[in-house]
Amino acid sequence: MIRPARLLWPLLAASALIAAPAAAQFGVLNDIVNKAQSAQKIGEGLRKITEQEEIKIGGDLAGMLLGAAPLVEDPAKQAYVNRLGRWLALHSARPALPWKFCIIDSDDFNAFSTPGGYVLISRGLFERMRSEAELAGVLSHEIAHVERKHHLEALQRGLRDQSLSEMRRYFSVSTGNSIADQFGSALLTAGKDLYIKGLDPSSEYEADRIGVVIAARSGYSPYGLGGVLQTLTATTDERAYAMHSRTHPLPLDRLVRLDAAMGSRFEALPGLVDDTPGFLELRRSAPSPAPVPPPKPAKQKRAR
Amino acid sequence: MNNLRAILFAAALLLPGAALASERGMTIRAGDLYAEPYVDAAKLGPLAANQPITIVARKGGWLAIDVGGKRGWVRMLIVRLESAAAAPSTAALRTGSTGRTIATGIKGLDEGSIRDAAIDQAQLARLEALGASESEARALAAQGGLQENQVAALKPGKLK
Repeated sequence: MIRPARLLWPLLAASALIAAPAAAQFGVLNDIVNKAQSAQKIGEGLRKITEQEEIKIGGDLAGMLLGAAPLVEDPAKQAYVNRLGRWLALHSARPALPWKFCIIDSDDFNAFSTPGGYVLISRGLFERMRSEAELAGVLSHEIAHVERKHHLEALQRGLRDQSLSEMRRYFSVSTGNSIADQFGSALLTAGKDLYIKGLDPSSEYEADRIGVVIAARSGYSPYGLGGVLQTLTATTDERAYAMHSRTHPLPLDRLVRLDAAMGSRFEALPGLVDDTPGFLELRRSAPSPAPVPPPKPAKQKRAR
Repeated sequence: MNNLRAILFAAALLLPGAALASERGMTIRAGDLYAEPYVDAAKLGPLAANQPITIVARKGGWLAIDVGGKRGWVRMLIVRLESAAAAPSTAALRTGSTGRTIATGIKGLDEGSIRDAAIDQAQLARLEALGASESEARALAAQGGLQENQVAALKPGKLK
């Protein structure tokens, strides 16, 4: 009866020796599979996101720009730029986006758009407009960036090595709550770089061409944008224009390209408007007082 | 004829939206001086490139200009502004008829302010509450007498 035991022990020992590395190997395999999954990169993935996902990115970037300069406390003007902006956007290739327009409190001359239909113009820009057609030209140019997804395209280049699963996780959480996560913070950094450095010149020229068409389709003089560019040809040294100048091609270059593209093609259009009475009235009126903030409820409940 | 031209010119200046403080500019390329702001209007003579001009009024894609004492209209996109005439900034910083200046300390928006910015959730919530419906937008357009046009997309033009 001793023999089987004698035989069994070495066998058990041997099988234990084999089993241990097998388990270890299996663990390593698992690790590799996990790492491979989390290492899967976005690549071209930002091009395939849904409209809702695009809007989430745009909302967070707009929230960042608002962190740099808040909304102007003038409900009448904010409402006007939204009705005007929506009217223009109805003549773009993306009329159904939940477009949001606003004037932000900065003396500088600048305008921004973020993916999904957010357009922010500075108070300094609004006040420097000679006419409503010029304002329509600026808003249409920004609408064109959204239509052509210029910012998303630029972000795509910077974020392609980010983890795909992290991006999915970012999209699964409501706006703003996931910005501390890996993808959220990478997006914020890439977004800041983009708004500091600007888009490709080719994107700006394209937005100029699309912008004048949107303005003309909406009944405004398509030369409003040209008027704004003309203003910019004289202002390269001024501090208020410094950031805009650094992030855009030379205004003279844009003016020359717009002239070449437009030619006399818009001459025959009937009834183009430079200013509507409503806009002139809005500009005459002093800024409306800030609304009284609603009383804070005793218990603050945060909807998350 | 010169008198008639002067009267037409003066009349054009009285058009709504045409009145503006004069700005100094320069032609970007050669072009023509027109009697009226239309491509088929009578030509008053050629304009050379880099010719200094004074802008006295704007109308759509046209500028009423004074060039060496001669008056007429020129296509807007062939004119750049002189740096000295930099923008209607002082006038523009006044709010309408009150003439009250806004600027109380310059609020810039530079690289640093963007670099340091965090997402402002409260401001973002207020932006999300803005927006206009399609019918609100159409009402504004109807009020302003805006007429929609069929316009084809623009291709890049040939640069000379």
